[in-house]
Amino acid sequence: MAQSAMESVSEQTMGLPDPKKDAEIAGRSPLQIAMTRLRSDKIAMVCLAIVIFFFLIGIFAPLLAKAFGVEVRGGDPSTDTDIFNFPVIGPPDHPFTWQAPLGLAPNTGDDNLAEWLYGARTSLMIATISTVGSTVIGITIGLIAGFSRGWLDRVISFVIDTFLSLPFLLMALALAPIITLRFANQPSVLKYAQVISLVCILTFFGWMTLARLIRGEVLSLREREFVQAAKVMGVPTRQILRKELLPNMVAPIVVSISLSLPAFVAAEAGLSYLGIGVIGVPSWGQTVNKAVDYFDTYPLYLYAPVVGIFFLVVALNLLGDAIRDAFDPKTRR
Amino acid sequence: MRLKKSAVVIATASLLALAACGGGGDSGPSDVVPSQGEGGGAGAGKVPDMQGPAAVPDDAAEGGTVTIETLQSPFTFDPTRAYYTDSTSIMSLVTRALTQYVYDPDSNDMVLAPDMATDLGTPNEDNTEWTFTLRDGLKYEDGTPVKAEDVAYAISRSFAIDELPEGPTYQLQFFKDGDKYKGPFKEKGKLCSCVTVDGNDITIHMSRPFPEMDYYASFPVFTAIPQAKDTKEEYGNHPLATGPYMFKDYKPGASLTLVKNPNWDPATDPGRIQAVDEWDFHFAQDQAKFENTILSDNGDAQTTLTYDNITPPTYKKISQDDPDRLVTGTSPCTYMWYLDMTKITDINVRKAIGYAYPYVDVWKAGGEIVGLTRVPGTAILPPGTNGRQEFDVLGIKGENTDPEKAKELLQQANAMGFEIKFLYATDDPLSVAAKDQVVKGLEAGGFKATPIASTINKIREARSDYDSPINVRSSGWCSDWPSGGSWFPAQWDGSLVGLEGMPNQANFKEADADAKQKEILSMPADKVPAAWGEFDKWMQETYYPAVVVGYSGTAMIRGSKIGGMYNDAVRGMPTFANMYITK
Repeated sequence: MAQSAMESVSEQTMGLPDPKKDAEIAGRSPLQIAMTRLRSDKIAMVCLAIVIFFFLIGIFAPLLAKAFGVEVRGGDPSTDTDIFNFPVIGPPDHPFTWQAPLGLAPNTGDDNLAEWLYGARTSLMIATISTVGSTVIGITIGLIAGFSRGWLDRVISFVIDTFLSLPFLLMALALAPIITLRFANQPSVLKYAQVISLVCILTFFGWMTLARLIRGEVLSLREREFVQAAKVMGVPTRQILRKELLPNMVAPIVVSISLSLPAFVAAEAGLSYLGIGVIGVPSWGQTVNKAVDYFDTYPLYLYAPVVGIFFLVVALNLLGDAIRDAFDPKTRR
Repeated sequence: MRLKKSAVVIATASLLALAACGGGGDSGPSDVVPSQGEGGGAGAGKVPDMQGPAAVPDDAAEGGTVTIETLQSPFTFDPTRAYYTDSTSIMSLVTRALTQYVYDPDSNDMVLAPDMATDLGTPNEDNTEWTFTLRDGLKYEDGTPVKAEDVAYAISRSFAIDELPEGPTYQLQFFKDGDKYKGPFKEKGKLCSCVTVDGNDITIHMSRPFPEMDYYASFPVFTAIPQAKDTKEEYGNHPLATGPYMFKDYKPGASLTLVKNPNWDPATDPGRIQAVDEWDFHFAQDQAKFENTILSDNGDAQTTLTYDNITPPTYKKISQDDPDRLVTGTSPCTYMWYLDMTKITDINVRKAIGYAYPYVDVWKAGGEIVGLTRVPGTAILPPGTNGRQEFDVLGIKGENTDPEKAKELLQQANAMGFEIKFLYATDDPLSVAAKDQVVKGLEAGGFKATPIASTINKIREARSDYDSPINVRSSGWCSDWPSGGSWFPAQWDGSLVGLEGMPNQANFKEADADAKQKEILSMPADKVPAAWGEFDKWMQETYYPAVVVGYSGTAMIRGSKIGGMYNDAVRGMPTFANMYITK
């Protein structure tokens, strides 16, 4: 898609026909076309609504918790749990109560709803930051690798291959205790260090696919006439990359973002489940980890975070698929 | 004795405690109150004249296979090195020692009885010489007879702590030449001069009085190992059986299969039966999975059991569905918060920690069942110990947290906001939950709480490091035998301060306490247990160097066809020697 070239051609060859007719036919960029197609996709719109819903929950978690009258880690084990360490109000042994709409956690008596709301926040925050980070890194490296010929391209490609060959899970497992022990004596720092390190781990292991994709696109575009023309005219490389090449790669970037968000949500939950994600901050993965033993005695405890992860990840994935289809001129649905 | 491996981790993790089985709540199913059952103790009784064979119960079926599922993996099965409770308990089926603990149904406790020896040993007047007489008719699994020399060799072998580390070490302190003799490997086959053999008589010579040798003789260390067949480090992979079962297949860390030993004669053994054909131990299993298997009680699950303490949801299910399959009881371990005497120098601050510690909250958050797997208490010596005294220095029964009193004491000491630093494991959710409760409790009591992060793998190392930036250490200790003699000299002796591994975790070094201990060790045997009970009380009243955060308890489940499974109160394990499959 050589956008700028095509636009200049169409303006010249179309001349100035009837202005009414012109309004109907012209003036739609590929992005606009994609958005129109996306808007007409009902599944995509439902998924978008769900995703927005979760983002609102994440953003307004403290207000929502206050509205329900619940707080994080507010449980008192000796008064809130019975002899079996099960909650004394709400499920599974007692009827529903507004005091704890999702019940209390066994052992600690912490409120599950508060934990769930803040868990959504943790999940989305980490996934969003990681996505932005890995996308920026991926685009930058991909552009540079694709446009620079010779040794720089080879070095960058080698780095990309190296990162792709590192086993993500093993690296995460190895890094987690190092971070924990490094900041062991500073509990207040540790909390942030863990969040930041998790974001870094997810970012550092998430940029390679996009970088490769961008590099391939750049390789196919850089020999095109409009790029050659820009070069001949003496446009600086930085400007060629930003103004000529980047706009032509909006589609793969948007698709990559929409598909890496759900992957990061799932990865965050998975790492927390393994006990190497964020500690001390509410997280769906941690709740699942604690709740698996209760799958039959206290199913709600387990299902709340599982349903949260399920809907968010499915909605994000379906939305991502729809965006990809919308941006792909070859699919017709 | 050391706690089961993972229990140590949990102790540090959930370094905290429980309150009365209250909490219940008005409408909860609180008609069931957790209790460890009648009786129970720590095996203080002795029956020197118990005779074999042990009776096989009427409802026992012939043969069958018992499956044992556990999340632990025993550290070793070398008789010389076995010191963790799971190892010593499983070993009791395979290697016989001079004495053994036998389950006594009348008291629901273990009693000390003879094993390979004909009685519980005869000390000389000042307890510096113990003589055990070996029974006739004892054989190894290969049919060769057991000789007194083999026992002497096994005892000598226990001095080889460089080659065979981690075993019990009382022999180094109490036996003659214990400080010089380095074991048969370094001494080119020479045996320890502390053991002499005369026919079937084995005499152990002490360097100082050791009145409790009969208890110590029940450790697997005091089995028989033929010198010619010792494979050193490999021996733990197939120790020669003298008991009713022998190794068939052992995959370290994964599984162990025991089959009948045809050369074991029931007439020589007052404590064991040989009813089942095979024992299948599966180590390092997933707890939720095997708990549910045993709960379901279908097929093979009927002959399956676990010796791990069950989780609260399983406790709830089993007490509603089939309480008979729940085996509970005491085990002689005390969990403590060891207060570093060099860093927390004011006794009022130390006592304030005891008042502020949120016992019940921490126990519950750590997944303990209050009153069952964690029992409140105030004395360092656990219930059932000989000569133990009940006392309550703080007057809160070891469970009623009193933050107001803590603040008052802190004000007196002019130490409001005193900083308490303790370890927790970030990768153990129960440890993290317990830590949250400790922080909450300490802050309510006027302290500043600084949890120091560690991981499951690193926490023991960090705890036994003198340079760790912590001033309390959460750990525990279990009786090696039911008297203070296996407690205070091992953990509270001033001479231990500074030693590798930090055995004296409170850095407790007080001249008058050391003098008292020395005096007790030289007392006549019959006065010793009571003196230790008195010392326990005196030490806590005078120095309060540790917050007792409860005693351990046992809560295990079994399939419906397993018979004879009781709680071995000495180890907190099932009574394997009594078990059979019912008809």
